[in-house]
Amino acid sequence: MSNQRQASSASQVPHLSPAELSYLYTSLSLPKNPIRPDGRSPTQFRPLSAETTILPGTNGSARIGFADGTQAIVGVKAEVEKTVLAADTLDSRSLAQHGDALNREGEEGSAAVSGQGEWVQMSIEIPGYRDDDALPIFLGEMMRESLVGSVEHKDEMAGGLKARLVINKRWHWRLYIDVSLFLPLDLPVSATDIMQVLLLSQPLSYPLPLLSLTTHLALLSTKLPKLKSTGEEDPFFDDDWAAAEYLYPRSKPSSGAFHPVRPPVTLLVVSVGENVIFDPNREEISVADAVLAISITRSHDSEALKLLSIRSIDPPSRLTQPGIPNSENASMLGAAPTENPSQEEVTGVWRPRRGGIKRSVVARMIKTVLGKGGVGEEVLEGLEGVEVQ
Amino acid sequence: MADRRRVNGPPGGTRPPVFASLQESTTGAAQRAQRQRQPAELRKIFLKTGLIPTASGSSYLEFEPSASLAAARSNPKSLIPPSSALKVACTVHGPKPLPRSAAFSPNLVLTTHVKYAPFAARKRRGHIRDASERDLGVHLETALRGAIIAERWPKSGLDITLTIIEAEDDRWWGDAPDSHDASWGMMNVLAGCITAASAAIADAHIDCLDLVSGGVAALVSDDSSKSASSVPRLMLDVDPAEHRSILSACVVAYMPARDEITEIWLKGDSSKAALEKGDVRSSHEALIDGAVDAARGANTVLSEAVTESIARSIAQA
Repeated sequence: MSNQRQASSASQVPHLSPAELSYLYTSLSLPKNPIRPDGRSPTQFRPLSAETTILPGTNGSARIGFADGTQAIVGVKAEVEKTVLAADTLDSRSLAQHGDALNREGEEGSAAVSGQGEWVQMSIEIPGYRDDDALPIFLGEMMRESLVGSVEHKDEMAGGLKARLVINKRWHWRLYIDVSLFLPLDLPVSATDIMQVLLLSQPLSYPLPLLSLTTHLALLSTKLPKLKSTGEEDPFFDDDWAAAEYLYPRSKPSSGAFHPVRPPVTLLVVSVGENVIFDPNREEISVADAVLAISITRSHDSEALKLLSIRSIDPPSRLTQPGIPNSENASMLGAAPTENPSQEEVTGVWRPRRGGIKRSVVARMIKTVLGKGGVGEEVLEGLEGVEVQ
Repeated sequence: MADRRRVNGPPGGTRPPVFASLQESTTGAAQRAQRQRQPAELRKIFLKTGLIPTASGSSYLEFEPSASLAAARSNPKSLIPPSSALKVACTVHGPKPLPRSAAFSPNLVLTTHVKYAPFAARKRRGHIRDASERDLGVHLETALRGAIIAERWPKSGLDITLTIIEAEDDRWWGDAPDSHDASWGMMNVLAGCITAASAAIADAHIDCLDLVSGGVAALVSDDSSKSASSVPRLMLDVDPAEHRSILSACVVAYMPARDEITEIWLKGDSSKAALEKGDVRSSHEALIDGAVDAARGANTVLSEAVTESIARSIAQA
């Protein structure tokens, strides 16, 4: 019951003692240069290995693994589906037949097909979670909303991913993005142990950056069969897989960028004290004051990065156990426990975080991501360096 | 997950027929709803606590119907209402002891359930919570957990259940989804849920840092000509049915006494906003500030309702 209750929260209860939490918080909130447990700089990401097009049965796939053995595999599948306009939409095509007087009305309800967000489906499987638990659903919705939300006003992929899925007025592609997360299982284990490992490894680091980067690479490698039919005919495709077209179009190698349009990336940012820290691991996120998931993409009108979505995530530090200062500890010699435990902060004694974040902190976190030469550019450049076969 | 326990209605929903001839005679039938309020003017909120006697705390929240909806109700021209207004009921059960099987928790364990009534939206919703409802539940939990002082109730649980009786539309009902389409109505629903839940928690006498209220701001472009020169404008408390295209929207849960945000949910492309001259904020900051202003407005109603709730509980004692 309790496991289920806790799993309904997007955060996970950290298994660190108040003393450990306090130590970690102090070192991470050092002004200017925080000390992270693994020695990374605040904006440095964990090293990872990536490969694409690994699953032959899918339209596109990718795998990313961290050094600790955590892996994510993403498979993208596409299906042709008949477009159903919502029952209550004013259909201009049928209304327009009723004479000129109605054309004006017809324009009111524009029935132009420009793609729907529901055509992209995302499901995430994390060991230890049921498929209807809140965390996988929350993560899936978070990534889906930025994927379908990015709209480009350019020749290539005008209208974004949603418009790319339109075949004609009656048919469209439906995209299934399935993410599986794998956890390290390198011990020789029996079947019962496996169950335990799955449960024990449940509170691993918040898996969002891993899932987002893997999905990004999988979508870049996704191919759709080449359309042979034209116009409003029933769709008919070229059966030569070599002729298939990429979902995210690629330009000729001569003309600068290899991918003119790329899917968005979601970054996990935490703030500890005055510091802003990227790609937090499990311990770091458990002392964070605030956790934000920020989705960005490259804007094509200007060089600057574009913000697509921000979501705050419940910081697990709110669920931690408070430390007890010596002045209130009955087992300390010579100290009388007071009746009313004081609520103020004592240095070196952990208190669960309370309240929210200031707007200035949110602005600073966004600025670190979006700013010129900021982390967002660095991540996108790094991803652009990955050769997608 | 499919609902196998009930005989469900048609998934696509039905609507009364609209005959083309009827539309010709009454040109106003398919008239698009127009925003009559100023950009910074909020809808009126009805909020009352303690309507559900079996719960330890409860509240009911209703948004003022838009001008076009009020006109359509008094003088109906079509069977289809032009827009809808949010109605939410919230119950709080607890704090109550956790079940014996539960692991020890030093803090109050918060559980939030958000459920649309099957008749809440134009399209029928099933009885089983779908992904968007669970998503709303997580957002609400984040918003409330920052406000509740959880360590005062170790080993206890608090169940918060919200029923959406009438939801907001995602767009005007006659429009097909365009390229900027998203579930914008959900963001209004979340803001209403936050305010309602906060009132119900106060009604249940749970200690909080401050009353947390929800607010929405959005960048909308209302130009009927689809020219690229149309500049989106910032508006507070938008009703998606009244606007042609919403580019970006933001919900915050805000605590005015501490000037802190416990929950922020921003989505959409906010890069093309036109701010007033001399405004140095970037557009997403302006959007967040706008949502905070809307939340401040909702907070005045919230504190009135909570004062009423306390006066009633003193009178009963």
